[in-house]
Amino acid sequence: MKIIKRIYYTLEFIGFYLFNLVKANVYIAWDILTPKIHMKPAFMEIPVRLETDFGLLLFSNLLSMTPGTISMDISEDKKIVRVHVLYYKTDEIMLNEFYKMQEKIKRITS
Amino acid sequence: MEYNISIVVLIITFSFLLAALVLAFVRLLRGPSVNDRIAAMDVIAVIVMAFILTYSIMVNKAIYLDLPVIISLISFIGTVAVSTYLKHRYG
Amino acid sequence: MDNVIISIFLLAGSFFILIASIGLIRLKDLYSRLHAATKAPSFGIFLMLIGVSIFFNTPMVYIKSLFVIFFIYLTAPLAAHAIIKSFQEKDKDDSEKKITEL
Repeated sequence: MKIIKRIYYTLEFIGFYLFNLVKANVYIAWDILTPKIHMKPAFMEIPVRLETDFGLLLFSNLLSMTPGTISMDISEDKKIVRVHVLYYKTDEIMLNEFYKMQEKIKRITS
Repeated sequence: MEYNISIVVLIITFSFLLAALVLAFVRLLRGPSVNDRIAAMDVIAVIVMAFILTYSIMVNKAIYLDLPVIISLISFIGTVAVSTYLKHRYG
Repeated sequence: MDNVIISIFLLAGSFFILIASIGLIRLKDLYSRLHAATKAPSFGIFLMLIGVSIFFNTPMVYIKSLFVIFFIYLTAPLAAHAIIKSFQEKDKDDSEKKITEL
């Protein structure tokens, strides 16, 4: 039963990854092809709530491939990821999104 | 099953890739810092892979697909090696 | 019908690679350029490999395409990470130099 659930979550995560991939590329293409560049770059620090190293790898990979974020650095104790954000809104909205991603990853790796 | 891709599609693909190659080359020559040049080299490796894929469709030989595997391995190792060298020199 | 699908995949892939190059020229600083240089080319090569797999349609081609896709998606963020790390060292160095010169 547990294995079936985990397989389901993994498939859901792959779908989520592919959807974000297409979205990120459409955003980038739209921004580069239109004459006005509406970017608002900023640096952010995200607290990490994952236990395993594999989860951290998945999370930083997902960050680099989703719209407007690139993972830059990881602190020594693996608790904070520094991120460069391209479309900055407010701290709360962005952090909520990142926590949602981490929940999805936690369900697979824990 | 045999497919016939029209030559017009292949020519348009080649011209897109050629334009991309020229633009990336401009960044490679102009780049203010060495890191910009490394990023441009990374993009150029991907463009070369895309050229080989399109060519393999044009001549209809699957053997050419070995080349992108090797290029993807080597370009990553080159990028990381040059970045690590720069980091040690600056730091 | 399949011809049309393969053509669309090929054109879309080369179009995304072209977008990466335009972004490399147009954007202002290294961090934004890396956004364009990481995401768009890997997506472009992904689409082209799907088109090539449909075209040849043999198991060996599928295995090679899967290997290339897996490897590119594993290594593109790592390459961007390495480039940014080396740039940060230089950035720190430059700002320190400016302070001491003033």
